[in-house]
Amino acid sequence: MNSTSGVQQKYSELQGKAEAVWKVTWIKRGRGIVGTLFFYLVILSLAFVFVYPLLYMVSKSLMRPEDVADATIQWIPKQFSLRNYAIAMDEIKFWPGLLNSIIISFGSAILQVVSCSIVGYGFARFRFPGQAFFLALVVFTFLVPPQTFVVPLFKFFLDMGWVNTHLPFIVPALLGHGLKGSLFVLIFIQFYRTLPNVLEEAARIDGAGAFRTYWMIMFPLAKPAMLVVFLFSVVWHWNDLFEPNLYLLVPEYFNLAQNMAFFNGNANLDIQQAASSVSTGTLGMAPTLQNQVMAGVMLTILPILILYMFTQRYFVESVERSGIAGE
Amino acid sequence: MGKKFRLSMRSRHILEGYSFISIWIAGFLMFMLVPLSMSLYYSLNNLEVSKDGLKAVYTGLTHYRAAFTTDIDFVPRLQSTLTTMLTQVPLILIFAMLSALLLNRNFRGRILFRGIFFLPVIIASGAILRELLEQGATKLPIFAQYDLFEKLNGLIPGDFLENLLIYADSLTLVMWDSGVQILIFIAGLQTISPALYEAARCDGATKWESFWKITFPMIMPMVFVNTLFSIVNSFTKTDNKIMDYINNTAFRANDYAYGSALGWIYFIVISIVLAIVFFIFRRSLSATEGRG
Repeated sequence: MNSTSGVQQKYSELQGKAEAVWKVTWIKRGRGIVGTLFFYLVILSLAFVFVYPLLYMVSKSLMRPEDVADATIQWIPKQFSLRNYAIAMDEIKFWPGLLNSIIISFGSAILQVVSCSIVGYGFARFRFPGQAFFLALVVFTFLVPPQTFVVPLFKFFLDMGWVNTHLPFIVPALLGHGLKGSLFVLIFIQFYRTLPNVLEEAARIDGAGAFRTYWMIMFPLAKPAMLVVFLFSVVWHWNDLFEPNLYLLVPEYFNLAQNMAFFNGNANLDIQQAASSVSTGTLGMAPTLQNQVMAGVMLTILPILILYMFTQRYFVESVERSGIAGE
Repeated sequence: MGKKFRLSMRSRHILEGYSFISIWIAGFLMFMLVPLSMSLYYSLNNLEVSKDGLKAVYTGLTHYRAAFTTDIDFVPRLQSTLTTMLTQVPLILIFAMLSALLLNRNFRGRILFRGIFFLPVIIASGAILRELLEQGATKLPIFAQYDLFEKLNGLIPGDFLENLLIYADSLTLVMWDSGVQILIFIAGLQTISPALYEAARCDGATKWESFWKITFPMIMPMVFVNTLFSIVNSFTKTDNKIMDYINNTAFRANDYAYGSALGWIYFIVISIVLAIVFFIFRRSLSATEGRG
């Protein structure tokens, strides 16, 4: 009798506890749902800000003149038209420009990947006198603004007869310099430091020389860092206007970014003229021109956008593994 | 015998090290040291075009003095570049940190979202961003449309509101500028061992506390790297007023000497800013090193 009531008491106690636990988990779960919803809300709105200009450009570039004038059309044109693209393709001389852009950015990027990784390996794996000094020079090179020494550099390239060739991009890249070259060296240093010594030691014991060891064993291991450096280098060269505007002065050597800048400048001029002399002929011309410019911008970034779409997944993973953040 | 062998091993090692970095040193001499000293030389001289090329006449610090006294364009541009940098870099850091914390969580579609957040790195650098700026595509419709100004004018005094809206507008630019920084923060967050958070949770720390006691000190080095990167980036951006001005002086007006002098002044200003940053971070960095 006594024992049964004791058991019952214990049972109800346990039941109460279980209910309490249930309640707590439900509250927690509810909070979790609210938290998740809030999280997605924040991240979606941030993502929207990043995608917005792209969507805006795509939408504008597909519109026909009638759609631009139509106030009821905000985003989706009534009829999709590729006419803007056809005009822009002509205006920015797409194919020759594309070829020049590819030579400059892919050529420099491949050379920078090879040369910067060699230099980075030298810093990461060898101890030699003056190492700290040279490392400080690498950082220094990253920090000096190009404007400070661009005049003599331009003169140097002019004297060498390299202006209006691709050599001002290729030769510095070959030697581990060029656009943000020292940053890439730093990335490779950081990456090689994270790799274990064992593999190299094994190769050395088997009789491979330093360069053979590097080229056969260590360089292939640096794929994550290579991908990051390659993509950065391609993209930065692709979008850069400063150096091409200095060294490529003849239209047949212009790359896409330069052609685009020209097109935009001309378009802006036309828009201003149209605005100053409003006549029936030019009415509606300005916004149409803008849509052509948008199409041009889309065409300029399309190649690297495609490249990014294919490499994006590996790129993000690589960044995590390459130790880009170290110090 | 043995000692001699060791010595030769050591010197071979040194030689190999030098040969690996030798290409960089060659490049440094060619594309950095020589042009840099040449530009210093130019900036101290007056360059005159004569029959046998450029002729240099020593003028001392005249160009440097002229930049601050007779040139009415340079100092205002320098000021505006500096203020842009000072307002944007902290915002970039805060935004990049928040985004990295969000993206570092485990959630559905994180690969997709990461891809979107790095989109600016791909398309916003250089000329394209300028293009967008001119077309007004980076301005969110919320700020431009709906007569936000009129509606809020009753609540907030006009001058203040105007600045606030300009700030909010530049916020989208800040977001577009922080792609690489987000990347570096994420890479940094990945290096923090989950065991630390577990231990903190067992000791009863809230998430808020563990952020300030674990996450923040652990990624202090990345904050430093990001600060440096953002500052250098903001100083060397192509739509930067000073960069434009120096370019125009040197290559349109063909005033090489004065352009070089302006470049050097700019470089010195940047160095001072970076030195201040080093000084600020010195204490917090040495603190994390002691703990790590």
